[in-house]
Order: sequence, then structure tokens, then C-alpha cells
Amino acid sequence: MIVQTALLIGMVLFSVLAIFLKDLIRAAISLAVASLLLGIIFFRMGASYAGVFEISVVAGLITVLFILTIALTNTGEEVRESRLANVVFPLFFAVFVVIDALVMKGLLQKIPALPSGPETGTFGEVLWKGRTLDLVGQIAVILAGVFSVLALFRKRDKHD
Amino acid sequence: MIILFVALPLIVAGVLPLIGKVSRRVVPDLLANAVLLFLLVYAVAVGRPLIGNGPALQKLTWLGETVNLRLALDGFSLLMLLAISLVGLCVTLFSIDYMEHYGAKANYYALLLIMIAGMNGLVLATDLFNLYIFLEVAAVASYSLVAFGLGQDELEAAFKYLLLSVVASAFILVSIAVIFGMTGSLSLPAVARALQDLKAGPVVGICAALFIMGFGLKAALVPFHAWLPDAHPSAPAPISAVLSGLLIKVSGVYALTRVFLNVFGLTPALSNVLMSLGTVSLVVAAFLALGQKDIKRMLAYSSISQVGYIVLGIGLGTPLGIAGGLFHLFNHALAKGLLFLTSGSIQQATGTRNLDEMGGLAKRMPFTAATNLIGSLSIAGVPPLNGFWSKLLIIMALIQAGHPVFALIAVLASVLTLWYYLLIQRKAFFGKLNERWAAVKEAPFWMTASTVLLASLCVGVGLFFSVTIKSWIQPAAGVLAEGVQAVIRSWGL
Repeated sequence: MIVQTALLIGMVLFSVLAIFLKDLIRAAISLAVASLLLGIIFFRMGASYAGVFEISVVAGLITVLFILTIALTNTGEEVRESRLANVVFPLFFAVFVVIDALVMKGLLQKIPALPSGPETGTFGEVLWKGRTLDLVGQIAVILAGVFSVLALFRKRDKHD
Repeated sequence: MIILFVALPLIVAGVLPLIGKVSRRVVPDLLANAVLLFLLVYAVAVGRPLIGNGPALQKLTWLGETVNLRLALDGFSLLMLLAISLVGLCVTLFSIDYMEHYGAKANYYALLLIMIAGMNGLVLATDLFNLYIFLEVAAVASYSLVAFGLGQDELEAAFKYLLLSVVASAFILVSIAVIFGMTGSLSLPAVARALQDLKAGPVVGICAALFIMGFGLKAALVPFHAWLPDAHPSAPAPISAVLSGLLIKVSGVYALTRVFLNVFGLTPALSNVLMSLGTVSLVVAAFLALGQKDIKRMLAYSSISQVGYIVLGIGLGTPLGIAGGLFHLFNHALAKGLLFLTSGSIQQATGTRNLDEMGGLAKRMPFTAATNLIGSLSIAGVPPLNGFWSKLLIIMALIQAGHPVFALIAVLASVLTLWYYLLIQRKAFFGKLNERWAAVKEAPFWMTASTVLLASLCVGVGLFFSVTIKSWIQPAAGVLAEGVQAVIRSWGL
């Protein structure tokens, strides 16, 4: 319980750091640490596949892409932001924590225990047989991403 | 083969950029139009007979193994598919000439077809997570289509749209996760059945609130509308037509309606919330539209206002209200698609979207002026055009259900709508021709053809409204009026 709480607090802290740090590289690394901690929480809760994806894709691959992009585009200037965010965000965060502490425990007790539905099975069965339409959707999202990059980073040719 | 509605645009989108390397314009133009024409014919010729005896369900086998590719087509989904393919076809026709100067036409069509596949997948989904995934498919494609012009405005609008849309997706996803936690299932009939038996009122209430915020953001209902007046005008005109005519309705109104009427069940409290949100949207956005100088921005605010009418009608929950709301959804898709396309013709001819700089364009662009007038009068609710009948149905339903105040507000907002559409007519098309536009010519053939097609549909649906209502709107309204039983009983997958 203590380890779990420490992991959760760590995850929230690093997520907040990712928003507050002005240095983009540090922010990206904080986000990676937050997602690494989330991956560990997934492992500890028995969702090992979710943990593997969280750590390899979100903490690993996406951080590499972030850092690569920042390194390729960074001009060395600090990001200028509105000061309002420094006041508004902590305020929202504090309100959220208070509401969370007051409401969430009572609310969670009202959610009935998870019944074992028909959509269970091994990971492979669920992914390939149970959630096939999601895979079609995933292919569409990836295609949309690839074509977006092609379209938005296009060079205008002489005909255009 | 209901899956064709998703698979065909997706497969063609996958090969289009490769074909674009060989043929930059002609083949992509042909392919994109052929796909939409096929889907339209398929929806009309095959879709309607398919749902003759209740919803058509599809389970597919893949290499001999049964896979969970489950789709359901009922009256409500078919109406949406018809609207998507009809407006989609007019948009691809318009794009033949309009997108010439943007370049990368094959990529443009690929993204447009992915967006169409996403919307089709969403309306055929039988499961909450499928619904979410296809919502994202359409959204991801739409972000880059808004930014397609690559100007600073476009990029900024697309970024703002992306951020707010991601917030909406997060709300929707959290709600889906909680529902999965409660019911142990994601399939719509199973969730609907489980929610009937559960005694978890407060948690269901929170899920409903999250869905209202999420789908409300997608549908751009006031007060979740901040992104739309930036995103819709900045996109290329055909994309504005798809976004305002279809996307906000599919990923906002359709999803909201399907979840609340067919899965949660419409309670009086929920009905009041939806009607209040609808009324606030239709009034606030109508006033905001009045103050706009940018023609596309005015149309964007008008979309928020008209979505308000749709949600007001459907939120009322009576069979007549639902039919009115759905009819207005269909009519608004046609008319707003038409208006955004004509605004694209004006922008291409004059280079401006500022109404104050226009004037007398009817003399130079008679077809554009006439079709724009038809679209404007249709949305404003002038008889005998299609928009009149749908607004009339909504107002009659409100009076019948004992809500005269809501009915009065709807009538007054309709007058406001007519006012700002007449402003567009007066400033852009009538009056003295501005000297700057002396050399302006009518829009090219395909652009004019697509607007004339949409305008004819507005007139045709208005004149033959009873046929349209009987064959397309009633089956859709029937599904929604039946409530959760429509899904539990007929979708027993």
C-alpha cells in the first residue's frame, strides 16, 4: 500500500513537473518518468501487457521522438508563456485534489465490483479476436497520422 | 456487407498517396468521387432494404476464424450514412476545382476519405470503445485537414481544435472506463442491459456528465464551443463543409444521442439538461453570429446555433421532437454544406472573407448567389424549403409536450437566424458592385455543379418533405423513440 501510494504521488508530481518546467527537454523527461511510474503501477496491478506498452511506447518511443524533435528544432530560447498559467493551474490542481479527497473514496465504494464479462480471455485472444474492429480503427489512425505528416510537411511544387 | 462503409474509403485512402505519385490530379479526383458515389448508391439501394425487418447486424469471419468485427445498421445509422455520403460526394465534387491551388491533392483526398471512414465506423459501432476509436480516426484526420492550407491562421486554429478535442476525448474515455468498470462490458446492448439492473445512480450521473462535456465539446454546444469559430473558417471550404455539415453532428450529436437515448435511457433530468444546453446554444450563438464580419465565421456560429435546435428537439424525447431534431440534422447538413461551399467560391473569386469588402457579387456570380440564397433561406426556416419543415416539427413538438417558452425562444431565434443570413445576402450579393470585383467570374464548373446539386436537394427535400420523413426520418426516429429497448432487444449480438 505504501509503495503504491508513493508510486501514485510520484506519478502526479512528475506529471505536474512536465507541465511546469520551462526547459522542454526536462519536461519531456519528467513526462517519461511519470509514464514509467504508471507502467510500474500497471505491472503491480496485474495488467502486465498495459505496463509493457506504457513503458516501451509512451515512456520509451514517444520520449525519444519528443527529444529528437526538440533537439532538431530548439533555438536555445526559453519558451515564453502567459504568467496566468502559473496561477490558474495550481489553483485548479488544488481544487481537484480537494474534490478528489472528499468525493472519490465514497464514489468508488458505490461502483459495484467488476463482474467477469464475456469479453475476457488471453491477451492474444482479446486483441485479435475480441477487439478486431479496434485494430481496423488503429490502422486508420496510423494512416491518418502518416498522411498528416506527408500533407503538413509538404513542399509546394511549381504547379501549386 | 456493411463493413464496406468503413473498409472501402480506408483502402482507397491507403493507396491514394501512391497513385498520387503517378497521377497528381485526375485519378485521385476520379477515385475519391467514385468512392463517395458508390457509398451513396450503396446506402440508398442496399442499406434501406437491409433494415426493412429491423437492424442489420454483421459478424465477419477472417481466414476461416470468426473475429469480433461487429457492426449494426439501423434506421438512425442509415440516416447518418446517407447524410455523410451525400454531403461527402458534393464536397469531393467541389474539391476537384477548389483544391487545385493547394497542392498535394492525393494526400488531401486520402485524409478526407479516412475522415469519412471514421465517421461511418462511428455510426456503425456496436461497442463504446469502437465508438471512441472511430471518433479519434475522424478527429485525427480533421486536425490536419483544418491545417491543410499551412498558413499561420490555419495552423493556430488546428492546434486550438486539437487541444480542445483531446480534452473532449479524455472526458469520453474516462466515462467509458468507469462504465466498463461497472458493467464489465463495452458492447452497447450489454451496457444498456447492465445499467438497467445496477443501482449506481451517482456514478452513472458522473458518467453522463462526462459524456455531456465530451460530446458537447465535439458538437460545439455552448459553453463548449470556443474551438469551432476558429477551426471551421480556417479550413479549406470543402473541409469546413464536412466539419460543420457532418463531423460535429456525427462525433457530437450522433454519439450523444445514441449513448443517452439507446444506452443510458433518457430520464426527465437528462432531457432538461439537453434541452437547456440546446436552447442556450441556439440563442447565444445566434447573437454571436450577428456581430461577425467574416462570412465563414458567421456560418460557423450559425452551426453552433443550429446544433442547438437539433439537441433541443432530440433532448425533448417525444417521437415528434426526435423526428424534428433528426430532420433538422439532415437538412442542416445539406444547407450548411452548401453555404460553406459557396463561401469557398466567393473566397476563391475575391480573395476575401470579409463581408464589408464584398458587394454586388450576384451580378458576377449568379449561380453562387442563387445557391447561397437557397441555403440561407433553408437554414433560416423559410417555406417551402427543407429547413422550414424541420423547425416547424421541433416547434410543434415543443408546444405539444407543454414547453411553450422553449417553443417561443426557438421561433425568436429563427428570426435572428433570418436576420444574419439576410445580412450576408445584402452585404455580399446585393447592392452596388464593388469596383474591385469588376473582373470576378462565376466559380468553375465542378464547384458550381456541387452547389447546384446541394441547393436542388434543399428545394427537393422541402417540396417532398413527407416522402423524406416517411422513408428516412421515421425509421431513425423510431429507433431513438424506442429507447434502450431498441438496442437491448434488436442488437442482441
